[in-house]
Amino acid sequence: MGHVAVTGIGAVTALGGDVGALAAGLVEGRCGIGPLTRFAHAGRCRLAAEVPELAPAAATAVLPPATVRRLSRPDHLALAAAEQALRQAGLDPVLRERAGIFVGATVGGMAESEDAYRRRRSGEDRRWRLSRLLGTPLSTSAAAIAQAFGMHGPRATYSTACSSSALAIAEAATAIASGRIETALAVGTDALCRITYAGFDALQALDPQGCRPFDRDRGGLSLGEGAAALVLEDAARARARGVRVLARVLGHATTSDAHHVTAPDPEGRGALAAVRGALAAAGVPSEAVDYVNAHGTGTRQNDDAEVRVLRAVFGRRLARIPVSSTKAQVGHCLGAAGAVEAVVTVLALDTSLLPPTATLLTPDPAWSDLDLVPTPGRRAPIAVALTSSYGFGGHNVTLILGRGE
Amino acid sequence: MDRHALFTEVKQLLVTGLRLDRPAADIPDDSPIFGDGLGLDSIDALELVVLVEDRFRVSIPDEEVGKRAFASVRSLVDFITEERGAQ
Repeated sequence: MGHVAVTGIGAVTALGGDVGALAAGLVEGRCGIGPLTRFAHAGRCRLAAEVPELAPAAATAVLPPATVRRLSRPDHLALAAAEQALRQAGLDPVLRERAGIFVGATVGGMAESEDAYRRRRSGEDRRWRLSRLLGTPLSTSAAAIAQAFGMHGPRATYSTACSSSALAIAEAATAIASGRIETALAVGTDALCRITYAGFDALQALDPQGCRPFDRDRGGLSLGEGAAALVLEDAARARARGVRVLARVLGHATTSDAHHVTAPDPEGRGALAAVRGALAAAGVPSEAVDYVNAHGTGTRQNDDAEVRVLRAVFGRRLARIPVSSTKAQVGHCLGAAGAVEAVVTVLALDTSLLPPTATLLTPDPAWSDLDLVPTPGRRAPIAVALTSSYGFGGHNVTLILGRGE
Repeated sequence: MDRHALFTEVKQLLVTGLRLDRPAADIPDDSPIFGDGLGLDSIDALELVVLVEDRFRVSIPDEEVGKRAFASVRSLVDFITEERGAQ
């Protein structure tokens, strides 16, 4: 197995249109969760972490104008994140041409499809309109990226609920480590839409006051939207071309709960197997881990199961490992969450600034031993970090990332 | 409907129906509809048939008629005028 380097990152989140805005917002403890404005919703919750209006990525100018008109919001978000990551990695056209694209997403053009449905129902459109439905498939983001950046390598889109883009990163790393490709762009992208918002609200999974991961009074998650991208490449190749390595993918594992359609296994068995499997794959003892970017959604079920897993893995040493949930600031970006949190973790490794669990007010007394990193975060050099994503239906993915050097 | 109003309505339909990012008034009467004219592609062609048929109650039964009707904004106005006269 070859070594895998991260040489470029990009992100578009509620904290802003690029990685710089994300990094600054995180350490300031800024919360991107606010009133839901993208559509009307009559329900328990009215909050979301929305991406502010942004100019389209420069690369959209390369696409035919007719194609650009029909891009979905997740396509636009993905293009913007991909552009940042590719620029930082400095991939020339020849390297880009052979690179693979691995995207994780869960909604695709759902918001646009909802609009088409409303127009058809209201009679505004007298027939179904093809152009309003072309952005529906999850696969369109990968296609738009390939066309915009001239990428002709393997291409895949993964949809495993909230671990989709963590899986995309894992699969991209596997393709590189096996020698199949030298370079990959891993992307997560999702936008807010009525279906997911209404679904999570009907499940009573949304906290009407905004999510407070690991707080005593946590009452659910806050939905977010965004995209994040990482350029992964063979470490020897990265070294040879002299590009700065921001972090390394040391290992990863994917497991299945086989338990319930939405609830995690309360014992956290699938999640525990993912964490242990990823550590084993990385060849890293649990003692080496010095930061955890938690899934930390803020639902009682997730946070309970997750702490159980962390205790099982780290034992008494957990008290000395900083653990933060950045969903408190960027919301739960569903299919994009794994990639957003991988970028956050790369930033922590690269800048030695650990992001806080920003909305924590009253730590849960049951977890008084946990170091949940109060605002405004902390300066601490770290060498090995763990980030997990646990998707509905029991799709568990853990990534182990290491400092670049 | 007078001819000037029909030109305006056709251009408005192109802009709003196909979500073009330009004012309808900027489209010349003799602008080609496809090719480089308005930046449309083959999917827009399918859309435009539906839009024109629904809005103007005319029928575009095949590609041959479509090519003639959609050669330019002016030829589309002519086509709609003829079809309506024949109805």
